[in-house]
Amino acid sequence: MIYLDHSATSPLLPEVKSAMIDAMNMELGNTSSLHSTGTRARDLLESARKKVACLINADPSEIIFTSGGSESNNTVMHIFAGQPIAVSAIEHPSVLEPALEYASRLTKIPVDENGRIKTELFPTESRLVSVMLANNELGTLEPIATDDKYKFHTDATQALGKIPIDVKALGVDYLTASAHKIGGPVGVGLLYVKKGAPFRPLILGGAQEHHRRAGTTPLVNILGFAAAAEYAEKHKTWELYEKNIRPLKNALAKRILKEIPHSSLNSPLENSLPNILNVSFAAAEGESIQLYLDTMGGIEVSTGSACASSDAKPSHVLMATKNDVEVAHSSIRFSFGLDAKEDDIDKIMKILPNIIKRLQGISTIKIKE
Amino acid sequence: MTENSTDSANPFAYSDLVKEHFLNPKNFLMGDESKFAYDAKGIVGNPICGDQMLMFLKIKDDKIEDVKWKTYGCASAIASTSALSELAKGKTLDDALAISADDIAEYLGGLPKHKFHCSVLGHDALRAAIQSYRKKS
Repeated sequence: MIYLDHSATSPLLPEVKSAMIDAMNMELGNTSSLHSTGTRARDLLESARKKVACLINADPSEIIFTSGGSESNNTVMHIFAGQPIAVSAIEHPSVLEPALEYASRLTKIPVDENGRIKTELFPTESRLVSVMLANNELGTLEPIATDDKYKFHTDATQALGKIPIDVKALGVDYLTASAHKIGGPVGVGLLYVKKGAPFRPLILGGAQEHHRRAGTTPLVNILGFAAAAEYAEKHKTWELYEKNIRPLKNALAKRILKEIPHSSLNSPLENSLPNILNVSFAAAEGESIQLYLDTMGGIEVSTGSACASSDAKPSHVLMATKNDVEVAHSSIRFSFGLDAKEDDIDKIMKILPNIIKRLQGISTIKIKE
Repeated sequence: MTENSTDSANPFAYSDLVKEHFLNPKNFLMGDESKFAYDAKGIVGNPICGDQMLMFLKIKDDKIEDVKWKTYGCASAIASTSALSELAKGKTLDDALAISADDIAEYLGGLPKHKFHCSVLGHDALRAAIQSYRKKS
């Protein structure tokens, strides 16, 4: 099996697994309890908070542990309920849907064909602007344009571990990140809230996280997240991605364009994450491509085709960038992990051209020359 | 894709027969339609919605002597058009007209519910082909 869907979720790192098993073998108490077991749990929690804070250069007091990226995004949109909010047109649904739910007026900021936001179109009357650091389908890096006129949130779920992140340098007020995209467990994430930025809890009913997020602390998950953050920091994974993975992404892009007729890139190769490559193949449908790759070569990828989505709609990201349903239906996303090898590219290119040739050959769509 | 709006429907919800017809489709027409001397042609679907099928029939003595097809669409669209071509081959035009979406799904050992309406369209293309043939002759 060649797993090239790391943007969906990444496998648990061995370091994370052993940290979590160690935690499960300890007698962990409730972090809110006053006895010794509770105190020990609290100490572990605070050391974990320091580790994840360190990864994004935040103060530990600025970190709130959440159940994941979706909760962090929902929390930020909820803070600005009843106020005008602006978001990029290619945000994750966990930004788009709560923004639509809570904003007094929602502005969607358009993007160019590479998925880059047009910063000159920022509506300055908005109280909150939310623009992701890197797009999950394309890998496009977005410019962060903070301003005194509005608070700024960035969803860094895909960017974490792939590029260096420093909240102070970015100057953002809020930042979302998730453990399972960097080899941590599913079910835990963080919300960075800059000291002094407005806050209002989404989940009420407990004093945990300094009254900012109620609910008994899921310490095993949090310790797993901290182990993943420590791994990223120790190995400077963003440097490894840049050095080892970007050349593979570029090589695959080049070979696809050269060896497969009527293929096109949806991902930009400049100003993009080192590990995401999104491509389309005229007249071939994405779910079929995905399933052929999987059953014939054990190559696991994802697609923006409506046929593979739960709501039967093509990718809103590709519709915003390319505005072409066929491009969206025929898209395939490769997202590499650090274990990717040159040999993987050879294996893809051994079967992909024939898959596309067959699908284009039996397609009802006549390809425009 | 994933983690996001790309959260895909589980492809392994497909039956073994669907997989077989997807991996080794029968009677498909590769390349230009001029390669097959057909007597009637029918089309259904719309690439905007994600699925489109074309059926080509060779007809002799009111019987479907040979069938070819083209499909743009997902795995179940390809498999169900392949299955339909097997069902239709050798049938009289009247019998072929009676083939329903349920017949195709049954032949394939079932299809995922959410896939049924968008991918089992081929029988409409088949009917359109037969009707156009009858109008001509």
